[in-house]
Amino acid sequence: MSDDSRNGQQTRLWISWLVVAALLGYGVAQTLITAAKLFTH
Amino acid sequence: MLSALDRRHTIAPPGYSRWLIPPAALAVHLCIGQVYATSVYKNSLIAHFDTSQTAIGVIFSIAIVMLGLSAAVAGTWVEANGPRKAMFVSACFWAAGFLVGSLGIATTQLWLLYLGYGLLGGIGLGIGYISPVSTLIKWFPDRPGLATGLAIMGFGGGAMVASPLSRQLLSFYDPAYDPANASSTASGSALVWLFVTLGLGYFVIMMFGVANVRVPAQDWRPAGFDPASVAAKPLVTTANVSAANAVKTRSFWLLWVVLFCNVTAGIGILEQASPMIQDFFRDNGTSAVTVAAAGGFVGLLSLFNMAGRFVWSSTSDVIGRKPIYMVYLGVGMVLYALLALVGQTATALFVLLACVILSFYGGGFATVPAYLRDLFGTFQVGAIHGRLLTAWSAAGIAGPLIVNGFLDAQGKPGTLTAAAYRPALFTMVGVLAVGFVANLLVRPVPQRYHEPPAEQSVDEDATAQRSGTR
Repeated sequence: MSDDSRNGQQTRLWISWLVVAALLGYGVAQTLITAAKLFTH
Repeated sequence: MLSALDRRHTIAPPGYSRWLIPPAALAVHLCIGQVYATSVYKNSLIAHFDTSQTAIGVIFSIAIVMLGLSAAVAGTWVEANGPRKAMFVSACFWAAGFLVGSLGIATTQLWLLYLGYGLLGGIGLGIGYISPVSTLIKWFPDRPGLATGLAIMGFGGGAMVASPLSRQLLSFYDPAYDPANASSTASGSALVWLFVTLGLGYFVIMMFGVANVRVPAQDWRPAGFDPASVAAKPLVTTANVSAANAVKTRSFWLLWVVLFCNVTAGIGILEQASPMIQDFFRDNGTSAVTVAAAGGFVGLLSLFNMAGRFVWSSTSDVIGRKPIYMVYLGVGMVLYALLALVGQTATALFVLLACVILSFYGGGFATVPAYLRDLFGTFQVGAIHGRLLTAWSAAGIAGPLIVNGFLDAQGKPGTLTAAAYRPALFTMVGVLAVGFVANLLVRPVPQRYHEPPAEQSVDEDATAQRSGTR
């Protein structure tokens, strides 16, 4: 694998994991806010 | 152009990172997991169509039944055509489901919602659910539980993303809609735009998966991986069994019973979670748990359901598939009994017991593909998984029937107490006991069902040629 394609793959890895981490992070954060009501109400 | 989706064009070049495959799988599962967030706009749909709860609830039921059927029927097609084409087809069906559904909402034709979200969307669900499974197992022969746990965790996470997102989108499209007010409903046009936005948005995200997914070359192995080290574990085979032969084996049906029992027990709690916590702490007709706190409890269960998929499935790589199901089912029996006997003594204890039970429920889903790999090999594991998912459809009917049947006999909703749940909870202990025994009886698949090693690759070629993929 050439350096160019290795760099391209690294970029693709970062973007892919960032997209799913952002989606999951949004879901977890929103759910935690809802779940906190169990202890505050 | 579509030939780019064929299996032969998706074989990874040397040096391709296998860590690109889990996010590709997650991109699909995070989108199709939306199916568990339909309750967010259920009341708005009821108001828009001026119809009953049942008429709208049927949409979800059709989607789940189609998930099981399409996974069972299309499993072999998915194996033959590869994950990229399967993910693309899944994205098309899933997005088309939303778009046809939006047309149904815009024209007030409920049958179009059944056809769109229920039928077309359900097919997208089934194909999407199984599409990355066998590919992940082939890329991670050393850690199949971790790999499938990551993907199937996405299905649990999908609802956690879709629920708040749908509420926020509905508020955006209809400023008069107040998500904090249970009696507030969104307008028909807001529902139409929600469906269009979700359909197009999910299609784009699923294309990330389509673009990144690859199958490993036939002789590829992770660095330092020795197949003999995996085969040395109990129940793990290096042989392969076709999907057609797998359903003829006793182990397949024992595993079907295991999954059915684990899901039936979990769905019983999941479906009843919000009223259940209020009923458990009801005294003189008034519950100590508010509606908002009960909503928080449901959120907490979703988190444990999702986390259990990754944590327990990864743990199964270390302790083995049969032992981990003994934990899900055996410890689950103890936890259900404790919930029935002492769950009402403290809210913290009730929440803790329910959260661990739900983590086992999620773990059961996520570990089953690796269990199938151990028993039947990698040859058609995706297709076998598809056939096994009919247990999910059956449990989706049985679990709520058991719980609601017992509760209906105990009194009216809003008047029940912890004692009313005991018969249902002890029934679940019995259901888990059946699953526990079935798991104990799982044995390696007899050699007569194995594919001859030389013919196996020929068979794969033939299957692919029949499907026009080579």
